[in-house]
Amino acid sequence: MSEEISPEMFKQLAALAALDLDQEQADYLRHELNQQLKAIHELAAIPLDDDLRITPHGIVYDQAISPTPREDVWQPCADPQKILNQAPQVEDQYIIVPDIPHEKLD
Amino acid sequence: MELCDLTAHEITEIIRSKQASAVEVLQSCLKRIAAVDGKPGSLDSAAESEEDRKKVHAFISVLEEDALQDAQKVDRMIQNGEDPGLLAGVPFSAKDVYCVEGTYTTAASKILANFKSPYTATTIQRLKEKGAILVGKVNLDEFTYGSSNESSAFKPIPRNPWNTAYVTGGSSGGSAASVAAGEVPLSLGTDTAGSIRQPAAFCGTVGCKPTYGRVSRYGIVAFASSLDCPGPLSRDVRDAALMLQAIAGADRYDSTAASLPVPNYLAALEDGVRGKRIGLSTDYFQISYPDPESGELLQKPVPDEILAAVQHAADILRDAGAEIIENVPMPNTRYAIPAFFVISRVEAASNLHRYDGVKYGYRGGKPGDDLLSMYRKTRNEGFGMQPKLRVLMGMYVSGAQYAEQYYNRALKVRAMIRRDFERIFDHKGSYRLDALLTPTTTTPAFQIGAMGGDSVLMQYADQFTVSANHAGIPGISLPAGFSNGLPIGIQLLGPDFSEASLLQIGRAFEKGSAAEPWRTMKPEVLK
Amino acid sequence: MTEYEVVIGLETHIQLNTTSKIFCSCKADSWDDEPNTNICPICSGLPGTLPVLNKAVVEKGVLLAKAMQAQIRMLSFFDRKNYFYPDLPKGYQISQYDLSLASGGYMDVPMPEGYIRRVNIHKLHLEEDAGKTKNAGNQRLIDFNRCGVPLIEMVTEPDLRSANEAAQYLIRLRQLLRWLNISEADMEKGHLRCDANVSVRPKGSDQLFTKTEIKNVNSIDNIRNAIEHEAQRQIREVSAGRRIVSWTLDWDEEKNELRKMRSKETEADYRYFRDPDLLPLRLSDQWLGDILCDFPELPLERRARFISQHNLPEYDADILTGERNFSDFFEAALGAYGGDPKKVSNYLINDILRMLNEKGLTANQLKITPAYLAQILKMVDDGKINTSTGKSLLDKVETSGESPESIVEREGLGLVSDDSAIRAVAEKIVASHPKEVETYRSGKETLIGWFTGQVMREMRGKADPQLATRILLELLKK
Repeated sequence: MSEEISPEMFKQLAALAALDLDQEQADYLRHELNQQLKAIHELAAIPLDDDLRITPHGIVYDQAISPTPREDVWQPCADPQKILNQAPQVEDQYIIVPDIPHEKLD
Repeated sequence: MELCDLTAHEITEIIRSKQASAVEVLQSCLKRIAAVDGKPGSLDSAAESEEDRKKVHAFISVLEEDALQDAQKVDRMIQNGEDPGLLAGVPFSAKDVYCVEGTYTTAASKILANFKSPYTATTIQRLKEKGAILVGKVNLDEFTYGSSNESSAFKPIPRNPWNTAYVTGGSSGGSAASVAAGEVPLSLGTDTAGSIRQPAAFCGTVGCKPTYGRVSRYGIVAFASSLDCPGPLSRDVRDAALMLQAIAGADRYDSTAASLPVPNYLAALEDGVRGKRIGLSTDYFQISYPDPESGELLQKPVPDEILAAVQHAADILRDAGAEIIENVPMPNTRYAIPAFFVISRVEAASNLHRYDGVKYGYRGGKPGDDLLSMYRKTRNEGFGMQPKLRVLMGMYVSGAQYAEQYYNRALKVRAMIRRDFERIFDHKGSYRLDALLTPTTTTPAFQIGAMGGDSVLMQYADQFTVSANHAGIPGISLPAGFSNGLPIGIQLLGPDFSEASLLQIGRAFEKGSAAEPWRTMKPEVLK
Repeated sequence: MTEYEVVIGLETHIQLNTTSKIFCSCKADSWDDEPNTNICPICSGLPGTLPVLNKAVVEKGVLLAKAMQAQIRMLSFFDRKNYFYPDLPKGYQISQYDLSLASGGYMDVPMPEGYIRRVNIHKLHLEEDAGKTKNAGNQRLIDFNRCGVPLIEMVTEPDLRSANEAAQYLIRLRQLLRWLNISEADMEKGHLRCDANVSVRPKGSDQLFTKTEIKNVNSIDNIRNAIEHEAQRQIREVSAGRRIVSWTLDWDEEKNELRKMRSKETEADYRYFRDPDLLPLRLSDQWLGDILCDFPELPLERRARFISQHNLPEYDADILTGERNFSDFFEAALGAYGGDPKKVSNYLINDILRMLNEKGLTANQLKITPAYLAQILKMVDDGKINTSTGKSLLDKVETSGESPESIVEREGLGLVSDDSAIRAVAEKIVASHPKEVETYRSGKETLIGWFTGQVMREMRGKADPQLATRILLELLKK
């Protein structure tokens, strides 16, 4: 059975996933992904019933157990500074990141 | 018997009756931790020494000062005749995915190693309000991805207290180990594919995955948002009931927390199983495993000692008055792992998107890098293999051209797994079960390193537990014996929100097996 | 020579004026705040946090959907739109993809030229806003204050056929949003943002050709200009035999020209899936009923009614349905007055509106009530005061807050209708201006106006002018 994820495709995936992988890691990961896909293909053979309802959760959220939506009230965070203090680089209350690469166009 | 070896309910009694103080109980736990835990997990660990290999290493951080303050507060309340709450003075550990304000919440990953949470998870808040004492944060598989705790970036990884050459199981490995080694009577874990129940089984403790939505997920680093369940690990069933009582219920910070009233889990605990209908399914006595070449699913029977443990449990329950119904069909069980591969990865990849080095945690790269480079280096350097695998797979199977074939199909299979359970639990159906009795795991704990980086094999370790996550139903794992000195667990699965009933059945099994010789065995680290 | 027509579709993002954000309890409006002060663990995407939906966001969404005649879904879903960007803390935006709150619907936009352009709506959905970024050298500065502000995204079909139509649509949309109290819709503050998709085709064709996208335009005038320019550019290109490339453009308002933005790589694959942290959004009949029970008459409907029912000219109807408080004031005043709507309209458009603009108030904030205005109108009709007194009364009422009747009473502003008093003054005027009397009697009948003016002046404007004229005519006949 041929590999589903080729090195080419893997490279694209890694870029999409924002991962800068070295070759050794890339090889291991690609191998594992393809092994997993073989297992996943088991799903392909299962006959699916037409009347199956897909729900986002396993349990059924009926009216009785669903919480009511939140009232529109302002409740400020006790200390937003604590959140900002977690950022790797902050200046004048702004979080600093490097610039996005730009393509110079005409 | 040391104070730290008592159950939580015994501890609350002792403290309320002033036979011991909360501080004394805490100190007993801290002493045990000092004796058996060894080096806490950290990023900068040197190679493991001989000494390390004999220790448990359950903890990443022990919060001694805070715990002492909390214990002193409980003692003051007792002195003043006030009630500190349901879990008065009970020390507990929390899997290091629970945000606790002012503490590092690492998810056992380099990418969060320096993240100090500015807020506290609802479950932790509730435990503290009820008098419980948070002793520290325990180790886990990185981002809860794994079934052995081996993938943690914080080394040394936890070791099984019964035989330290073996894994604790995962992902709540530190939780299970800390309870089994007598370091704390209770631990708060999470279960997405079996991550509470499987390590509980491997370490000989009780582990309960409540119904999805029974307990708030607010403040817990997410793996798969539609599958994650916070829950207790404990020494006995009553303790699990106590902890569940303390944490269950609606939460205005969690839209998926059911607004269903919480019953009294302790009220009917001792009522026995007369009239309860408990099923056995041959689908849970077969181990599925993929052919390494073709990927085709093959089957082989569970090991004899595991089968025997389940049958013995059935006998005990039958003697206690339950009706045992055999050959209950659960035909879609075998597809639970492939479906999980897809659904959990899609959600995990999305949940990992926020770790980008911008606003918290690790930031990689160097000055002069552009944003894209910064993202890629941050995530490459910050994530271990398991998060990387999940992100890549998640993106692949939810990509526009594959979503129908993989993701949507997996969701349908999940609906079929759910239907299997609805059928057997249906009051008006052919089986009308109160619970399904199964093994928790396919084998007892395996040796550290035995899986050899095989991610498929590792995932298949969860095959008996994961269907409950798909279906959302509750499950509990109970210690049921040993195989070559390593614990074996049995599992009870029940209908939505049937925790009270499962705990009741579990208690009956506990009582029925109370005199069995294996219950007096002690973990290797305590000898 | 082929004639081309331009085809335009608009994508608007509407910032709702709720008190709190869509998924957390931070303020929705933080325009004046210091950066990164209006944040909490949820909207800044901290690990372990979860979204909790704001009820008012749904309700405002339903109001807009109803106003646009869209089909409201009783069951809709939130989906995650996954992509990396520094102003998106979770790395995904919670939005609605295929089963959104509403779909379909339309707005009939009246054009000044006299025709109506029907703009169909493709989709209406709820979503959260991202934060703000700004450039500083080779760095980006990120502010999360705006993360999680509730937005409605509304996408039209490509039904617009000119830059003017696009502008009119936005003007009407802005009016509607304010009318329904859904959004302040101030484009300069980003409450209403619009991207335009522009393409051209030969007149008469019903095919759709490659479009370009114009983004980041922050006023209706600029959108009009930008679309004009782009339409012209495309027509030039196509006429010269060149193909249109699907660029993303932005409008430089200083240079009055379009610039090409960094081109998108491949179409981003957002890998939408149902957000498991939120339950499906279920509207019950009860809830829907509660939201819609006070649904108001909409501005365009009312405008049409004012024209047909009250016989008001379009000009008047437009102004009287421009803003809701003003419009409701008119209705209430007319109701209390019961007379000629045009008279009420005149007062509102000429005097009340000026007063509102000068004071920076809305009509419901005035001390003048619709009932008071009706009083003034009735007093003029009954001849108790003349029109100029009526107008000056407005300021007096607004200053004092007293009723017009009591002011007239107190200051003696009433018109003199006493025949003998006026007669006395009229006789005096006639007697003291023999030359003018002569001129009048020899045929210059228009001088009656001058005579009346003299009587009025003598009586400090308090004479009933009609009576004065009648008496003068009598006296001058002799």
